[in-house]
Amino acid sequence: MEGDQDTSDFTLVTRKPCFGLPTACPNCLPAYIYLKLAQLPFQLAFNSTFPDSEELPYFESGTYVAYNNEDGGVIEKLEKDGIVNLDSQLQSLPDYLSLKALIVSWLDEALTYEIWVGTEGASASKIYYSDLPWVIGKVLFYKQTYLTKKRLGLTKENAEQREKLIYKRASEAYEALSTRLGEQKFLFEDRPSSLDAFFLSHMLFTIQVLPETSVLRHKLLEQSNLVRYAERLKSEFLEESSSSPSPPLHSFPSSFSGMGSKTKSKPKAEKSEEEKKFKKRARFFLAAQFLAVVIYVSVMGGVSSDEVEYEDDDY
Amino acid sequence: MANPADKPDPNLTTPDEGEVREEELEDIEEEDDYEGEDDDDEATASKPQTREDAAASRANAQNLFRRMGVAPVPVRVHDVIVKGNEKTKDHVIEAEVEGVRQATTLQELLEAANVANFNLRALDIFDSVKITLDAGPPELPDTTNVVVKVVESQSPLAAEIVTSTKSQARSSTLEGSLKYKNIFGHGDIWDSSLAYGCDNSGEVGLGLYLPRLRGRPSPFTSRLYLSTQDWLKFSSYRERALGVSLGVLLSKNHELGYTLAWRNLIDPTQMASRTIRRQIGHSLVSDLKYTFKVDERNSSLRPTRGYSFVSTSQIGGLVPDSRTLRFLRQEIDLKYAVPLGFYRSALNFGVSGGITFPWGSGYKSRASSVSERFFLGGNISPVCSLGGPSALWGFKTRGLGPNEPRREAEDDKSGDAYERDFVGGDVAVTAFADLSFDFPLRWFRERGIHGHVFACAGNMAELSGNKYRYFTAPKFMETFRSSVGAGIVLPTSLFRMELNYCHIVKKQEHDRAKSGFFLTFSTPSS
Repeated sequence: MEGDQDTSDFTLVTRKPCFGLPTACPNCLPAYIYLKLAQLPFQLAFNSTFPDSEELPYFESGTYVAYNNEDGGVIEKLEKDGIVNLDSQLQSLPDYLSLKALIVSWLDEALTYEIWVGTEGASASKIYYSDLPWVIGKVLFYKQTYLTKKRLGLTKENAEQREKLIYKRASEAYEALSTRLGEQKFLFEDRPSSLDAFFLSHMLFTIQVLPETSVLRHKLLEQSNLVRYAERLKSEFLEESSSSPSPPLHSFPSSFSGMGSKTKSKPKAEKSEEEKKFKKRARFFLAAQFLAVVIYVSVMGGVSSDEVEYEDDDY
Repeated sequence: MANPADKPDPNLTTPDEGEVREEELEDIEEEDDYEGEDDDDEATASKPQTREDAAASRANAQNLFRRMGVAPVPVRVHDVIVKGNEKTKDHVIEAEVEGVRQATTLQELLEAANVANFNLRALDIFDSVKITLDAGPPELPDTTNVVVKVVESQSPLAAEIVTSTKSQARSSTLEGSLKYKNIFGHGDIWDSSLAYGCDNSGEVGLGLYLPRLRGRPSPFTSRLYLSTQDWLKFSSYRERALGVSLGVLLSKNHELGYTLAWRNLIDPTQMASRTIRRQIGHSLVSDLKYTFKVDERNSSLRPTRGYSFVSTSQIGGLVPDSRTLRFLRQEIDLKYAVPLGFYRSALNFGVSGGITFPWGSGYKSRASSVSERFFLGGNISPVCSLGGPSALWGFKTRGLGPNEPRREAEDDKSGDAYERDFVGGDVAVTAFADLSFDFPLRWFRERGIHGHVFACAGNMAELSGNKYRYFTAPKFMETFRSSVGAGIVLPTSLFRMELNYCHIVKKQEHDRAKSGFFLTFSTPSS
């Protein structure tokens, strides 16, 4: 790839912005952040009519296009083609691969689960389907939910166990990353890498997009140094070009403040599980009530209808 | 015995009319003898007559015929009796025969009966149709009953294979369909069809045809379809659509249609150019289409006299949801044929144009959908194609107009010689002139093989997506493409084939056109 491309030609095509993020799609955000960390000037364009495409995000410059479903992802392809590479010399480090595996598999899986199953797709409609006509949006949403459950190996029998495993792994990943990061600015040495892009994208999405009742969000907010890391990088790299800085992460309503929230978040997580159980029981109760009413009416209705007929005969 | 209903052509010539009427009068005279019998369906069949009776009937008939030749013979239709329909509802048949009630003279009645017979056969649900005239009740002189006897198709299932030119695909299509006729007795025809086009397009669909909708004299068609159009070679995208379309023929010249479809554009090769990349995705199309068509040409495969005019207007996005595809589209097509007198030669002229533009908020900067744009070129002949700019001799399918470079290939493995996508235009104009003539040899004349010399020109431009700012009329005229040529036309029962030599007079860079020999296939335009 020639290095003499006109830089004003660089365009990243992602899904549309929402929730205060430049792009609300968790697959597109890493590429955006990566280019920002690399301080490569580029334009942003949006595609909001193809939510089930694996090609997005893609990077284009003249007739050069790097799709996300080639060569392991758009970031990997840009590095391979020499457009921008933040990971040179880092790939040989032993930690690099294991951390990458942690972020790209465990955390990615946890986020996917949380978007489509854990929060029942509450945010998904806004991110993916708000620009599509209602009918198409609904059909694609149900299709995607089904495919996600299949990909995560979820069935009715193992749903609870899988959920526990996914959250447990996410917790462990957060702790490992928190330990690795400490109070450093970046995950590796003192320079940004693609892992920072992936992890920052995960964090921003989890904190800003997922609802307050999200279990994953609570687990993340327990790690204070990670939240500080995210805030720092966001204000330094992502708010340079924006006219009005977005509110700092810690000002969010259910914000984390010190150790106290550790005890607060635990009961909150338990509460949400209790709430789910309660809702389930309430549904069973209502169904039983309804059934009882139906049986009563059909049995007693048989008696009263005879009376009605008798009355009719009088006339 | 011949019946007035035997000829499907409502425009009778005089000698035939004379024969028919004479026989008709014999029927009337005979049936006078059999008044009061209700199911004399074979009333026209001979009953034993004495020679004197026969001679008397013939004399009466001849007298009546002489009266008819001199002045209109007044008659009034008292009743229309329908027989032989077990499944078909009476009102379906009566609706087609309605015209006979308005007849006031015997001449009008015979003509109306002819038309009614033609209409009933056109329903395509009967094996045979017979209309006879019976005498009216004896207390009402000068009245007649019209008896319609039909024989319903024994096997309601029919299969057929047709070739046609689908206006969407702009190429010849082979369609096989299975039809199930008259399930509910309303003259309904249900069909399932499979169509395959020359350009790798395919469609599978289920359709319903009703000759009348709720008593209105308008044929109604509805179709549920799943179609694929493969434009990968020319424009790097494949279009899939799942939809339902409804159509009503308001009258002979006016047609109204509505389509609701889920359309999906994909690019499996991932080599598309920038404009096509931006269009990939799902869309919902809800569009209303009005077509006004007049075709006074004497033939659609070899017009030598007459004119035709087609105007199609489409508006998309007429639903409250602003996220459906919103566009306006207008096409006009005018053709004129002038006979020149020698060797059955004729001069055909034609001009056609079209324009499309999005509407709604931000309509100026929004690019029109590539599925609604115009594309020129292909293997169809401009002489036959009706409706909108589409064909130009010498230019390949989607072979001219705005184009963009495709994604650069990483290696040279792609054997595709084309490196550019043709993205279509929002405005297109074509014009042609064609002189056709018979060859002097009788062998060619008998088979309808004739020659032609032609010239054509056309051009397209983009307007949407802010590109109207760069559009100027002088530049548009300057970049007009044109070609001339000559060739042989071989008409067959299914299609019209042309073997032409085309010389490209003017083309632009990147156009897919070459001087040389070309084959075109055209079907009678639908």
